Amino acid sequence: MRKLTLAAVATVLLAGCGGPTAGDGGNEDRKDIVIGVIADLTGATADVGKPYNEGMLAYIDNLNAKGGVDGHKIKALSEDYQYKVPTAEEKYKKFVAEGAVAIQGWGTGDSEALRSKVKDDELPFMSASYAEVLTDPKQSPYNFVVAPTYSDQLRVAIDHIAAQDPAAQLAVLHHDSPFGTAPLADAEKWIKDKGYQLGFKAYPMKAGATDHVGILQQAKAQGAKYVVIQNVSSPAAVVAKDIAAQKLDMKIVCLNWCADELFIKVAGTAAEGHLMIQPFAPPGITKPGHQTVRDYCQGKGIDLDDRGLHFVQGWYTMHAMVKGIEKTLGGGKELTGPNIRAGLETMPAVDTGGVIAPIKFSADSHRGATASNIYRVSGGKFTEVTAAVAPKA
Amino acid sequence: MAATAAGVFHTSYASELRLRHTSAERLRLVVVAAGLLTLPWLVSPYWLGIVNTIGIAAIGAVGLNILVGFTGQISLGQGGFLAVGAFTSGLLVQRAGLPVPLAMLAAVLVTAVVGAFFGLPALRLKGLYLAIATIASQEIIIFVVRRWGWLTGGQGFLDVDRLTLFGWRVPRTSFEFVWYWIIAGLAVLAVVTARNLFRTALGRSFMAVRDHDIAASAIGVDLTRTKLLAFAVSSGYVGLAGALTAHYTQTVTWERFTIDVSIQYLAMIIVGGLGSIAGAVYGAAFIMLLPPLLAELADALRNRVPLLADQLPAVQAAAFGLVIVLFLLFEPRGLDRIWRRVKDYVRFWPFRY
Repeated sequence: MRKLTLAAVATVLLAGCGGPTAGDGGNEDRKDIVIGVIADLTGATADVGKPYNEGMLAYIDNLNAKGGVDGHKIKALSEDYQYKVPTAEEKYKKFVAEGAVAIQGWGTGDSEALRSKVKDDELPFMSASYAEVLTDPKQSPYNFVVAPTYSDQLRVAIDHIAAQDPAAQLAVLHHDSPFGTAPLADAEKWIKDKGYQLGFKAYPMKAGATDHVGILQQAKAQGAKYVVIQNVSSPAAVVAKDIAAQKLDMKIVCLNWCADELFIKVAGTAAEGHLMIQPFAPPGITKPGHQTVRDYCQGKGIDLDDRGLHFVQGWYTMHAMVKGIEKTLGGGKELTGPNIRAGLETMPAVDTGGVIAPIKFSADSHRGATASNIYRVSGGKFTEVTAAVAPKA
Repeated sequence: MAATAAGVFHTSYASELRLRHTSAERLRLVVVAAGLLTLPWLVSPYWLGIVNTIGIAAIGAVGLNILVGFTGQISLGQGGFLAVGAFTSGLLVQRAGLPVPLAMLAAVLVTAVVGAFFGLPALRLKGLYLAIATIASQEIIIFVVRRWGWLTGGQGFLDVDRLTLFGWRVPRTSFEFVWYWIIAGLAVLAVVTARNLFRTALGRSFMAVRDHDIAASAIGVDLTRTKLLAFAVSSGYVGLAGALTAHYTQTVTWERFTIDVSIQYLAMIIVGGLGSIAGAVYGAAFIMLLPPLLAELADALRNRVPLLADQLPAVQAAAFGLVIVLFLLFEPRGLDRIWRRVKDYVRFWPFRY
């Protein structure tokens, strides 16, 4: 039945575009390109997962309206997996059965769990997880990471803190999952290797907690001046409020997934003065790359500033994938997993108009970029502290 | 059998002990067998994948029903025991290099032992108190597999290679097809052994404990031995389901074995019918088919009722709850009982009983 629906949709689409293939779904040359999208729309990370997913689908919509890639429309199969690894696997299987040639994933737990499967199935896989292990083609040959890894982001944070306050104590509050723990070991090693005098202690945050006063008390006992948060926006905002309410002298440094407009909105005045490590420029900081997104949103009546930077992040992650597909098709190759992988590895650096540092992959490294931006919250807005800074060599 | 017969009556012990009493039952067996043999050619790989998960769930549900439905020992530790089976088999194959069939056999034995161990509180506890004790076992096992870094090599989950049997690696293209035969074979084996278990003295002692433990002990049933054996036998089946999960999904993660799963399995045997092997299979099929069928429905109605598709996970959870409540209200003895009533209706027609 699902097949029938798909066939019907495909036929309608083909008929609608009125090309030479109208009414003939069997033409191999202009077949739809199927991409599976595993999204968290209602799970633990849905606050940031939803705009990210909307950004991806908006990109596809925009692309298809402009004629697609090389005459092919892209068909995105997007499904909610509620941030549950087993559900992600079910969705993945379904996408493979429906002929997906590439997958856009989401979380760290599921991306790592699917790592060996995409290797087995030879399907290029991009995720919103920037865990270090996914960047090494030897370990994860089909995973691609478009942004600096969590480890790189935390390294940037540590470099910045060490420059400000060489003997500070760091409390790292993290999501209690592979996503949260991903950068911890690398960060401790970084402090040691660089000879920093910083103190470092990690605290798992209980999921669904209504306050984090307990953890903050432990951090206070540690003497922490900086609270680095590797979690999504909503719990991070709760921490900011708790710090304000307890009148603690602590500065939050949010990594990637809590460094966004939602954090500022939820925390309100409690967000003031805190720092953010964010590889993607928010729409509030105007970069040339935002214009295309803004134009699309205006046409559709979407408020980009309300959707925020994760919308842009989803948009440009999909852009990178499509560029790889374009390169593969441009080389006259068939759209198979290994060919798309080669396309991604050999395509020229993807220019995002300054939204994120140019994304470049190679056969030896699937680390797309290393530079992040440092922002400070002031007056309820992002202000740039340092743009495009990579971890110290 | 004449339509006027007022029931199935036995005139000898041999006839009563028979597994199938009427020619209609024998005919049904033939139909079911034919269905099982032709199914993989009739459905798409996606639906065959769902059939495979149903098969695994059926084995686990048969195991749980032996404990809850037949012995009356309520257990909320199903997820934990599945985890023991999955990790045992996964580790033995990945780290010790054991062949998969041997590793699965070991998983069955290890889970049986672990199950018997966590069944110890059953010697003193009953009903709600036992349920809480088994929640403890669930949480302890999940804590161990989640926090003990050695199990997963520090990565939080265990990768399992695609199934290799006697040097033959299951090809990617016919993955679900090959697995169907393995799972269907083992599920049939599980059903046949469980069905026969209750024709033996051990199986009957399980039921005696369920119906009245003091009376059972008075007629010479050793309660300690019987309860622990019930936990062991039940966990053995559950361990098999866990091991199959490990090799079929190729990823062993604690998230697959949470207390939600324990509750889902309890729902299966309630919906299917407590104390019925066939019911466990019906229940597994029903509960596993509910979410994908709802997803299809939401998809088909996407344009007319967009809410259904947008809030699919919530709708699925609500439907799950609704189904349980409806069954408890209208047929607490489940699908198996409904099927029996249908049979009786046909058999006794035109009389009511």
